[in-house]
Amino acid sequence: MTRWFGFLLAMAVGAAGGLFYGWVIDPVKYIDTTPDALRIDYRSDYVLMTAEVFQVEENLPDAIRRLALLDDASPVQIVSQALEFAEQHGYSPEDLAAMRFLYQALQSWNPVLGTLTP
Amino acid sequence: MRDERGYWYLLTGVLIGAVLGLLYAWLVQPVQYTHTSPASLRSDFKDQYRRLISAAFLANGDLVRAKARLDLLNDEDSYRVLAEQAQRSMAEGASFDEARAMGLLAAAIKQGAPVISPTLPPVPASPLAETTAPEAALTATLAVTLTLDGTPLPLFIPTSPSLSATASSLQAPLLALTPSPTPGAPFVLVNREQLCDSGLGQAQIQVLALDAAAQPVSGVEIIVTWAGGENHFFTGLQPEISVGYADFTMTPGITYTLRLAEGGQPIPGLSTSECKGADGGTYLSNWRLEFSQP
Repeated sequence: MTRWFGFLLAMAVGAAGGLFYGWVIDPVKYIDTTPDALRIDYRSDYVLMTAEVFQVEENLPDAIRRLALLDDASPVQIVSQALEFAEQHGYSPEDLAAMRFLYQALQSWNPVLGTLTP
Repeated sequence: MRDERGYWYLLTGVLIGAVLGLLYAWLVQPVQYTHTSPASLRSDFKDQYRRLISAAFLANGDLVRAKARLDLLNDEDSYRVLAEQAQRSMAEGASFDEARAMGLLAAAIKQGAPVISPTLPPVPASPLAETTAPEAALTATLAVTLTLDGTPLPLFIPTSPSLSATASSLQAPLLALTPSPTPGAPFVLVNREQLCDSGLGQAQIQVLALDAAAQPVSGVEIIVTWAGGENHFFTGLQPEISVGYADFTMTPGITYTLRLAEGGQPIPGLSTSECKGADGGTYLSNWRLEFSQP
């Protein structure tokens, strides 16, 4: 019984050591990640960049192409999530305005026809 | 009997436990990667990210924000990486606008130019923008105030190459409170010389664009034509030489004509020929053309 207890205890110590090594000392490293794994604040900034460009160029296909790089979700959904984050975290009125401008343009976008719906 | 077996069972337990722990840590429940940073992106996505940062910089003129964004990519030397990517894009036949945006951003980083923002004063309210140094924002506001004190200036860096050249050329003189160059004045050829440079290894047309204050101007579009071909390129893509510099590699036997897209006289008869360098060696000659705004 003591022997079994010792064996299990040793295994637990080993497992703890393995976890410590695998999580802390040498965790799995993801060096070639894709944009869809970006943290929400980085994603929001990516959307903000797209909105900043769109505000000047007003080229919706280009904006959609840029947003498509971020996620498989619909562009409206991506911008909506970013806008929500931006509103909650006190982005400047100018930044919010740019993102809303893009959001509104996307809402009137007809993906089938590739045109703006009046 | 028990003593003969010793304590090997403990070592066995530790080993089995360690293997199970590693399997769990690496395979079953590895470190999450759902909240990654731009620094971990694959290189092609980093290229896309840089393109978007440059395009956003061109749209809002906010260098402080653009630099903060570039810092997220953990590039060792942002301006060099940008300049190289701009040149690579041009070589690969990618969009001129994208290459130009990257070249302009690289040039702005090299120059340390102030922010030209359409939204005054710059309000760094996003989490990313909060990382920018307050003194940088102050400099930016000051620069814009100085700008507004004198001649009214466009607050956007416009997308037209000719206007952007004017905008970028205005930045350096403003900091030094020197008179601004004439906006939109056409460039004129002030120097044309044929060089025999042994160090280049290829025949080039080297162009340098300067404003009226003799400051290099980035973003000037240059058009080179020859029998059966045409090529466009911009100053500012090699900021390590000069932000007003651009070059074009000539093929022996072909005669080129060069002109700036925004006007000015065409410069015909540009071809390379063999020449003797100072060291007595034979090389292909280069052309050096210097343009300036009056």
